[in-house]
Amino acid sequence: MLGSSFPELLAAAQGGDEQAFAVLWRDLQPALLRYLRVAAPEAAEDLAADTWVSVIRGLGRFRGDGRAFQAWVFTVARHRAIDWRRQAGRRPTNLVPVEQLAERPAPDDPVAAVLEAQSTRAALALLAELSPDQAEVVALRVLGGLEVAEVARIVGKRPGAVRVLAHRGLRRLAKRMEAAGLARGVTR
Amino acid sequence: MSDDDALGPDMHPLLGFLESMPPAADQDTLERLLDGRLDAASAPAGYGELASLLAAATAPATPDELAGEQAARAEFRAVMPSHPPTLVPRRASVPSKLLTVKAAAAALVAVLSIGGVAVAATGLLPGQARRVPDQAPSTPAAGAAARGLGKAAVTDLDNATQGLCRAWQAGKGADNGSRADAPAFQTLAAAAGGSDNIAGYCADVTAGGARDHGQRPASAVGPDATAAARAGLCRTWQADKGTDNGRRTDSVAFQALATAAGGTDKIAGYCADVTAGSTADHGQGQASPPSGSPPSTNISPPSSGPPPDAGPGGHGQGGPPTTTGSP
Repeated sequence: MLGSSFPELLAAAQGGDEQAFAVLWRDLQPALLRYLRVAAPEAAEDLAADTWVSVIRGLGRFRGDGRAFQAWVFTVARHRAIDWRRQAGRRPTNLVPVEQLAERPAPDDPVAAVLEAQSTRAALALLAELSPDQAEVVALRVLGGLEVAEVARIVGKRPGAVRVLAHRGLRRLAKRMEAAGLARGVTR
Repeated sequence: MSDDDALGPDMHPLLGFLESMPPAADQDTLERLLDGRLDAASAPAGYGELASLLAAATAPATPDELAGEQAARAEFRAVMPSHPPTLVPRRASVPSKLLTVKAAAAALVAVLSIGGVAVAATGLLPGQARRVPDQAPSTPAAGAAARGLGKAAVTDLDNATQGLCRAWQAGKGADNGSRADAPAFQTLAAAAGGSDNIAGYCADVTAGGARDHGQRPASAVGPDATAAARAGLCRTWQADKGTDNGRRTDSVAFQALATAAGGTDKIAGYCADVTAGSTADHGQGQASPPSGSPPSTNISPPSSGPPPDAGPGGHGQGGPPTTTGSP
């Protein structure tokens, strides 16, 4: 995060300074792209670019600090992802009954990729297996680095509901990892 | 999505299962994991793999994740300079910015100081009036250059035409399609005797520097140009009132406005008359922006607040929040 240098960078970018904008972009783009790999895996790159188009067009009118900027960028990204899912008539992966989790064959064994190779993409693929609500909240909290109250505003839910969704998502993931790890003999 | 979704019926089959999860300190552990405050090594039993997963998900950025930077920069260049009619070259390199500010300042001063002399572009001025104060604070060097050259331009009207020419030349080779539509360049085309002749005309102007005034075809400007320029300056001044107007009054453009009004403190009243008259009298002062760029009504003050993000269905209209702390 850019912290105290943000106001200066924002002002410069708003004045047309491309270098300043590039700093803002590099700071947020990886997290943004990862969030979209969870929210709309097949279109993440395009939606990230679309998000920046909107952000650039609204940049001159933005007022706020670095956290507000971050929250705004993710708000825009979330809307792009919702649009895309609606248009594509797709959802990220449907909820899989918990009792099938252990038996469910992972396409490329993302659990192994995570545990043995610390693969970011595999980790995001596992997050994307959650229900859309859970995946969204976990992704905004973990990948977006946003706090409960910020996520609550972005997704239009109460903070308590955000907490519940995030906890359930993590529990599901913990179970998924643990079960797969046990099945593979990779235990801690 | 409502709160009900969080506790929806589809979740009920899970509840029994979840209750069998390790309950102790569970919520605290999960919150720490969500905040990134718990690594795999210190995670309690049953959460080690989850912590590993979250660590992998938040690993440092990889080069491929930053591959879109050039495209994003190109978008930024395409969008950001397009607020005024495109005298501003799309590639906002520092030298071309300087040239643009010079050209705008020179044109403004020329028209304001010597009304009726046929040099500057009618359509150029209102938009550029915005650009001058905008640019000056952002790059102090450019601001100083604009002020310095603006004074010189009072005695050398050729600078205005030269500025236009240099701006045109700087933009050549870039995406010039929309630029040719800009009123400023239409005027330049008129002066050159056709858009095909701009290159040759400008080559003469910029090479010769002080060229014989008589040879330059007079583009029809006259009183309308000054009126339009005044109106543009006044609108800019009015729009920026209430924001940081202190430095604005330093700029050449607003010094000229103050002179026309008969003093800095008379600008408000003067402008009230000018803008009232100009909106009623002629729309010529409103330079129509080239297609693809936002309307020049962007001049409105930022404090009026942007529209909220368009949300689902709305594309490209993401409006930023205006208040700190409540994104």
